Amino acid sequence: MSDAPVLPPAPPAPNPKPVIPPKPAAGNAVSQERRQFIFTWLGLAWTAFALATGTALSTVLRFMFPNVLFEPKTSFKAGRPDDYEIGKVDERWKEKYGVWIVRTLEGIYALSVVCTHLGCTPNWLEGEQKFKCPCHGSGFYKTGINFEGPAPRPLERLRISLADDGQVLVDKSKKFQQEKGEWNDPESFLTP
Amino acid sequence: MPSFSFKDFRLKTQVGKSIFRHGYSDDERDRALTVLTNVFFHLHPVKVRKSGARFGFTWCAGGLSFFVFLTLVVSGILLMFYYRPTVEYAYNDIIAMREHVPFGIMRELHRWGAHAMIITVWLHMFRVFMTGSYKPPREFNWVIGVILLVLTMLLSFTGYLLPWDQLAIWAITVGSNMARATPFLGHEGPGAALLKLGDIQLIHSGSDVRFALLGGNFVGAAALLRFYILHCVAIPVVVVILMAVHFWRIRKDGGISAPL
Amino acid sequence: MIETFKEAVNAFSSPMTIFTGAVIFFALLAAFPKFFTSTPVASSILLIILVFFGIGLTDDHFRAIVSTPDNVPIVGMLFIFGYFTWFALRKAVENDERLAAGKPAREKEEAEEKVMVFPYLIYIEFVAALFYSIMLVLWSIFLKAPLEDPANPSVSPNPSKAPWYFLGLQEMLVYFDPWIAGVLLPTLIILGLCAIPYIDNDPKSSGFYSYQRRRHGIVIFLFGFWILWVLLIMMGTFLRGPNWNFFGPFEEWDVHKLVPLVNVNLSEFVFIKWLGAGLPKEWYLRELPGIVLVLIYFALPIFVLAGTVFKKFVGTFGAVRFSIYMILLLTMVALPVKMYLRWAFNLKYLVAIPEYFFNI
Repeated sequence: MSDAPVLPPAPPAPNPKPVIPPKPAAGNAVSQERRQFIFTWLGLAWTAFALATGTALSTVLRFMFPNVLFEPKTSFKAGRPDDYEIGKVDERWKEKYGVWIVRTLEGIYALSVVCTHLGCTPNWLEGEQKFKCPCHGSGFYKTGINFEGPAPRPLERLRISLADDGQVLVDKSKKFQQEKGEWNDPESFLTP
Repeated sequence: MPSFSFKDFRLKTQVGKSIFRHGYSDDERDRALTVLTNVFFHLHPVKVRKSGARFGFTWCAGGLSFFVFLTLVVSGILLMFYYRPTVEYAYNDIIAMREHVPFGIMRELHRWGAHAMIITVWLHMFRVFMTGSYKPPREFNWVIGVILLVLTMLLSFTGYLLPWDQLAIWAITVGSNMARATPFLGHEGPGAALLKLGDIQLIHSGSDVRFALLGGNFVGAAALLRFYILHCVAIPVVVVILMAVHFWRIRKDGGISAPL
Repeated sequence: MIETFKEAVNAFSSPMTIFTGAVIFFALLAAFPKFFTSTPVASSILLIILVFFGIGLTDDHFRAIVSTPDNVPIVGMLFIFGYFTWFALRKAVENDERLAAGKPAREKEEAEEKVMVFPYLIYIEFVAALFYSIMLVLWSIFLKAPLEDPANPSVSPNPSKAPWYFLGLQEMLVYFDPWIAGVLLPTLIILGLCAIPYIDNDPKSSGFYSYQRRRHGIVIFLFGFWILWVLLIMMGTFLRGPNWNFFGPFEEWDVHKLVPLVNVNLSEFVFIKWLGAGLPKEWYLRELPGIVLVLIYFALPIFVLAGTVFKKFVGTFGAVRFSIYMILLLTMVALPVKMYLRWAFNLKYLVAIPEYFFNI
């Protein structure tokens, strides 16, 4: 141990510079000792201890991530393609599954109702033809592209396909992001 | 007719003497013993500088923060008797607490006490800054204080979810989604995409800090339980430990600050 | 008469005018603390605030916002902190005058004398706790804790707000991405607060109120506390309505208020407006001007100030401590800088790399 004073000076000195300069010889010895440290048995013991503690702590961290989640199902059947009007944003699944289904002349796509800014649920404003997020005012076009407010990227589209029985099948577990060029993926829209 | 005298009880009966173990506190020696023989008063030294005992110097802000923390512990324990942290029951339990339980201001005491604690803690920091009391040798205690301030806000934040109403769930949704954007550790944070082994993304929505906080992909049943545990057990334990360090260091760093 | 006043206030109110007004008032306060803490001036300021509040309470909208249960603590906090700021500065000015006259600070005189903790201190604490409890019980009796509809994940209330003490951060989210406003800035606020005693570590002026001796630190602290924290909380609470649009204090919160928000990135300014060319394909070319600008913002002041105004400062501080101090200070100033850039030029991002979720 060094011989530095353990207690703070009772009334701290007006100029709180270290009072005791380290002796040059001692300084060398310390640095040499430090260089050798990891090769000694003591160094080995401390390294082993640190590793074991680190492993134990990371298992505790892993404890916070369960293997099974009891969250609602991620895919659902959304009726027939003809149920959706061309040019309209359909809100019937918003409440239950958190999905808008939009049908345009080109096809049908499913938009996730989670704002890409901070996860609020935007509202579809029919009059202004845009999705508007109530939390921080992000606005998105009907396509999902962001055009105003703080949202950094467009809304996410979800995998959409036709099930065997001719119904629209939306799978929320697969997301398509426009900025990654994934909206060209054939699974991201449905051409009826 | 014999009348009861508290002074006689203290000084003459065996019970009284066993509790207080010193004379009546009207001279310096017994006043010193009052502080020294009482575990709660003993947080204080026996004597303080007159400047440090002034309300105008300390605003009692630190002491009041501690006091309101104690009232929150008491009211919080009482609330726990009626509250079940599950999606099915939480909201109804809050309503029941208001309507079926006598002395129905317990939740108010707890909620307004929490707001008051935040204001008092900020005020305490403000006062310590304005009097320059954070300077050496008290710098480490200031750091502890900053951590306590952050924990106070986290305590209030985790408690905010528990009523499970619209106010709660959306405040927490907005708040916890910021964690999504943590650099490297959140799945929408800068740099997170760079952390991968071969083709496998290490950080995705099921493995980032937000997931650890919520126990799921959105604010649901698991999040309610986690916030409940954090609010009632985990954070208070840390706060109590740090408060002990904080108070102890005040004395070890030379008491309430005064000019050199 | 009152209606015209309210309309004038609404018309004048915008994030920029309120923020600028607050900064100007703060600068005056910092320059003339003696004037502003003198009894006539301070009481007139209080009177003006009270009159404004009184008029406000006649307005249905203002009353509804101010008396929302969760907003009441903010109103209380405003008066508490206003009072204690005045109190601390007044004591500081008083001590400055004593020191200028060659007398010791008031606390110095009293520090010589010691008093018994029991009863003198313990009774002060007891009485303070007593009043605090009474206040808390009265508050709890007269104001019900809010409880809204049961949680519904598919309907966001409009507006959705974080708890009030985080509304300063939520207000910052208008100007910065979540990773900055929600993670980086809070972390730096915490680290910056922790760093205070290691940056300003001269124990000579500790333990008493003083303005002149610690002017530098107090101005930065009060600016951060009042302007960048409390003011933003107030704006986020009282003046941000549906869709996070800005509303004047007496303006009805109209869900359909239309505010054109056409924000432009720096890269678009540079390549499209000024150079008349298209945006480069590669992100690093596209964002080069922004990245250079941000680097200059952080590097230039450090080197310029270290060589000129703060030369003496660097000597006593040491290079490392000075750099940490400057980086913290520049980050703090970056918040209003970005806010003004937004207000003046509709600038959205200086650097925008959505490919990596990295936007500044």
